[in-house]
Amino acid sequence: MKQFILNRILSGILVIFGVSIFSFLLIHFIPGDPVRIMLGINATPEQVERLTHHLGLDKPLLVQYGQYIANLFQGDFGTSLKTGRPVLTEILDRFPETVKLAVFGLLIAVVIGISLGILAARFKDTIIDKLCTVFATLGVSIPSFWLAILLVMVFSVKLAWFPIANGTNFRDLILPACTLGVVASTMIMRLTRNGMVEVLSNDYIRTARAKGLEDRLILFRHALRNVLIPVVTVIGLQLAGLLGGAVIIEQVFNWPGLGTLALGAIMSRDFPLIQGTVLFMGVVYVTINILVDILYSVIDPRVEMGVKEAS
Amino acid sequence: MAKSEIYKPIQARVTSKSPMKLRADFLKRIFKDKRAVVCILFLFIVSIVGIFAPIIAPFDPEELFYDSILEAPNKEHLLGTDAIGRDLLSRLIYGVRVTLTVSLLAVAITFFLGTFIGLVCAYVGGWVDNVLMRIMDILLALPSIILALAIVAILGPSLTNAMIAVGVASIPGFARLIRGAALTIKSSMFVEASRSIGSSHSWILRRQFLPNVTGILLVYTTLFIGVAILDTAALSFIGLGAQPPTPEWGTMLSEGRNYMQNAWWLATFPGIAITMVVFAVNFLGDALRDIFDPKSSG
Repeated sequence: MKQFILNRILSGILVIFGVSIFSFLLIHFIPGDPVRIMLGINATPEQVERLTHHLGLDKPLLVQYGQYIANLFQGDFGTSLKTGRPVLTEILDRFPETVKLAVFGLLIAVVIGISLGILAARFKDTIIDKLCTVFATLGVSIPSFWLAILLVMVFSVKLAWFPIANGTNFRDLILPACTLGVVASTMIMRLTRNGMVEVLSNDYIRTARAKGLEDRLILFRHALRNVLIPVVTVIGLQLAGLLGGAVIIEQVFNWPGLGTLALGAIMSRDFPLIQGTVLFMGVVYVTINILVDILYSVIDPRVEMGVKEAS
Repeated sequence: MAKSEIYKPIQARVTSKSPMKLRADFLKRIFKDKRAVVCILFLFIVSIVGIFAPIIAPFDPEELFYDSILEAPNKEHLLGTDAIGRDLLSRLIYGVRVTLTVSLLAVAITFFLGTFIGLVCAYVGGWVDNVLMRIMDILLALPSIILALAIVAILGPSLTNAMIAVGVASIPGFARLIRGAALTIKSSMFVEASRSIGSSHSWILRRQFLPNVTGILLVYTTLFIGVAILDTAALSFIGLGAQPPTPEWGTMLSEGRNYMQNAWWLATFPGIAITMVVFAVNFLGDALRDIFDPKSSG
């Protein structure tokens, strides 16, 4: 177990190292002079020179990267060109809001996904099952930003139950979280449904039925527990996806999270901030993936054995 | 979107049938599946509408009707007009061209580079495989929309750059899937036999690898079209893709969002159009997956 966890952490560190190279190189990929692009066409040569020096772009590439990494280890992600504040402070100010949105969205996804998955499996091959399948395909086909607009049109504009995107209170959180939740629930629903269908055909379920156990008990106590292992993994991965991928929804609802920060940075070509958010999101994504893998191996030791056998 | 559903690996079914026979076999299996036929038919009609947009659309997409600003759907403007009096139906019809062309080109980037990287990794193996796959791992460590945003940040906002960004952002996932499928083929007897009689690498890749991954390529490419449509629309929606007055569905949705309170049709119809097309593409992808990998059907 220790070896597995250690290997996973080491490979994660390697990937994070790679993401740091990617985020560092972002500024160097820009066609033309990045400093001119950041400052705009009206910038004077002195301004260009000053910013070039400030960003360290006048040094050799390897020296720049060494400096970049050394700064990162000291918690220095650079300074935002737009606000003049440290990039890490900007990120850490916004991150809790993204976490709040992602966790609440995931909660909704789990409730919808697992309930519909159980329902579809219990009524396999009936109209209920087919409707759930259509819901799952619709969930991955509908643009999340359109779903967001629809929810605002119905619940904020028509019914006036919720405010139209302008704060961080619990009521402001409901619509964006529902949007994220509905989209993310489709994967959980499919996995739960397929797992349940497989488990429900097992001998021990037949025995439980033969003993005259209640349907509810069979579904929740005997079947669901065995289905939950892969579902928990996907839930973890969904959380990682939601923390990094809620950019568009944050923008629609004007939610002050990492997504809006990243978008604002792209619009204003604030490259230190873009580099910082990309790196931060990469680190969060990789860390959650590692945690999910470790959690999975703890719940189901066959995973670790599989790795050993493969190697 | 739940992209992880796409990344469900499909087991390559190795066969030594000739490419011609394989193609005929594929088509027969596809046209036997009702779901696939209905989706293909729907997408065919949509494509025809896009191709013949100048004939089908009632008005020019940029023609302004100053006396019909923000008009609700009526006999003259079936889907209503927008804030500067342009006919929404005509813009939607022309939007098919933009949306489908851009998405298909984005998928073409993913397809060619992803297939190339995947096949080379599986076939060459060794350090080439290791280096390329580690690079793919690094790119996969970022959510694809963040990767696409980073690329647009470098290239600047425009429809072409959004297309490149969406295409490139999907390469890592695609390459990984193709590599997995190709590894199964690599270990098959007939590839080993070809190698032992001295067949050239390019012959083995063209005549043995490609025909055997065709089915898988078809499934993944179809599913990635859905992702490309959604992602390009998303980039346009936030102002990093198509720029007004281009009649692109994502841009139209973005414009419509500002008039939610008094012109519901502006944000409704482009959304329905995107959802219907992506739904058909995904349903077709699911049907193809069931055809080429019956074990994965749920």
